Amino acid sequence: MIEFDRVSFSYGNRLVLHELSFSVHEDERTAILGGSGDGKTTILKLIVGLLRPDSGRILINGADITEKAEDELRDIRIKFSIVFQEGALFDSLSVKENVAFPLREYTRMTEEEIDRKVRELLRRVGLEEAIGHMPEELSGGMHRRVAIMRSMAAFEPKMFLYDEPTSGLDPVSADVICKLILDLSGQGRGYIIVTHKVFDAFRLANRFMFLKGGKIVFDGDRPALLGSTIPEIRIFLRELNLDRN
Amino acid sequence: MRIALDRIKGIIGQLQDFYLLSFHGLVGTLRRPFYSKDLIEQMNYAGFGSLLVILLISLFIGMALSLQLSAELSRLGLKMYTGKVVGISIIREIGPVLIAVVFAGRVGSGMASELGSMVLGHQVDTLRVFGVDPVKKLVTPRILSAVAMLPVLTIIGDAVALFGAYYIAVFVSHQSGTFFWSSIRDILTYENILAGSIKPFIFGYLIACISCYMGLSTKGGAVGLRRTTTQAVVLSFIAIIVADFIMTRVLLYILGFTL
Ligand SMILES: Nc1ncnc2c1ncn2[C@@H]1O[C@H](COP(=O)(O)OP(=O)(O)OP(=O)(O)O)[C@@H](O)[C@H]1O
Ligand SMILES: [Mg+2]
Repeated sequence: MIEFDRVSFSYGNRLVLHELSFSVHEDERTAILGGSGDGKTTILKLIVGLLRPDSGRILINGADITEKAEDELRDIRIKFSIVFQEGALFDSLSVKENVAFPLREYTRMTEEEIDRKVRELLRRVGLEEAIGHMPEELSGGMHRRVAIMRSMAAFEPKMFLYDEPTSGLDPVSADVICKLILDLSGQGRGYIIVTHKVFDAFRLANRFMFLKGGKIVFDGDRPALLGSTIPEIRIFLRELNLDRN
Repeated sequence: MRIALDRIKGIIGQLQDFYLLSFHGLVGTLRRPFYSKDLIEQMNYAGFGSLLVILLISLFIGMALSLQLSAELSRLGLKMYTGKVVGISIIREIGPVLIAVVFAGRVGSGMASELGSMVLGHQVDTLRVFGVDPVKKLVTPRILSAVAMLPVLTIIGDAVALFGAYYIAVFVSHQSGTFFWSSIRDILTYENILAGSIKPFIFGYLIACISCYMGLSTKGGAVGLRRTTTQAVVLSFIAIIVADFIMTRVLLYILGFTL
């Protein structure tokens, strides 16, 4: 359970989030929609304690994380699997070393066990042959598939956080990513996906929040979103109509 | 007024962050985990990577200096002092400073741009999510490699510059080679070597701290990266020159030279 209680955040003098309040259950499938620069990524970083709010509280399963020190946050972070925009693979490491990274940090596996585990994870997303490649040799879609497997390599996350998992991808690669996201969830594991692609959001989520000017101006299910009269939401929804025609 | 005050506050905040980073980066050498693989990679990049350019630059600076001084000193009839003057300038001043400046331009800018693009690509956030302290993993190996490699490069560079100076003195200015070397040997005193070899440690530390700090504070896309990379190099240059003056002053005092 993630709870934001009147959370404000600014970078220097630039106020990004203003008294944001919402709560999300672990098993929910939520999409946060919003324009570029509206603070979507910032919300995800606040959830895992990479940023600290200026004011307000953030509760994870009832525990306030805003005052926690960096090493105490470790226990919070392993509950989540977070995949950043564009995947954020370490570009100095090969695909294998990227996926092995959390295994080396969190487990005491032997070299053989790591190799087996990495291959198994990569096979799941059809990328076992890419094991020796460097990130720059991968396409955008492959990059993100590797990143998703890396994010859950070392532990069983309770919830997934995806930052624009399908932006910049062609529809076919985006489809592969959506399928993977659906495939990994379930058994009470939900996700929050941050995106500005309404089409993918509709496929993946059943709860929608719309971020605008540092506030959540909409929070509801699919019919409510389709019926919303907020002008920005209507513009976002045009993507769907185009698709139908 | 408000804006000026905010700016001053901002600068003080940045300075504080910089001191903290410089401190924690160094403390990281004492506490587990040690990222020795990253350290070796950084030493290789900073050391071997810079060797060729430093050899080249040192050789030519040594030769140019020797040309200038032979010309000037022979007018005064003091040609035999060429070795001594060239040697002292190279070992105590020009060698350490010039090589540090080249190092800042090559290695410092590389550090800043690499860390900057890791920040922009959320790779630093990813490290933190995996429970890895970015200062230990990224900054400490870079500080260590600079502090270890810059003195080595300086010694090699000094030697090559002296060799260049010797070549000009003997084959162009027709001085006695044995006399040249014996005057170099005379100036290789404990004081001169100390004065020349403390500097690169400090310069290396400053370059690495400034470059890592600038890199990690990158924001705002490609333009932001350009800004922090440029600032890393410019601030390193300034820091080198100012620190050189201060250290020279202090060392001359400690070593008991009268001005
Ligand atoms: N480190 C930073 N320093 C200053 N401003 C920042 C920083 N990071 C982000 N911002 C600004 O804060 C705002 C919100 O950033 P955020 O990354 O959360 O946006 P976003 O909704 O994820 O946008 P995008 O769709 O571009 O990813 C943006 O306007 C951005 O320019
Ligand atoms: Mg974003």
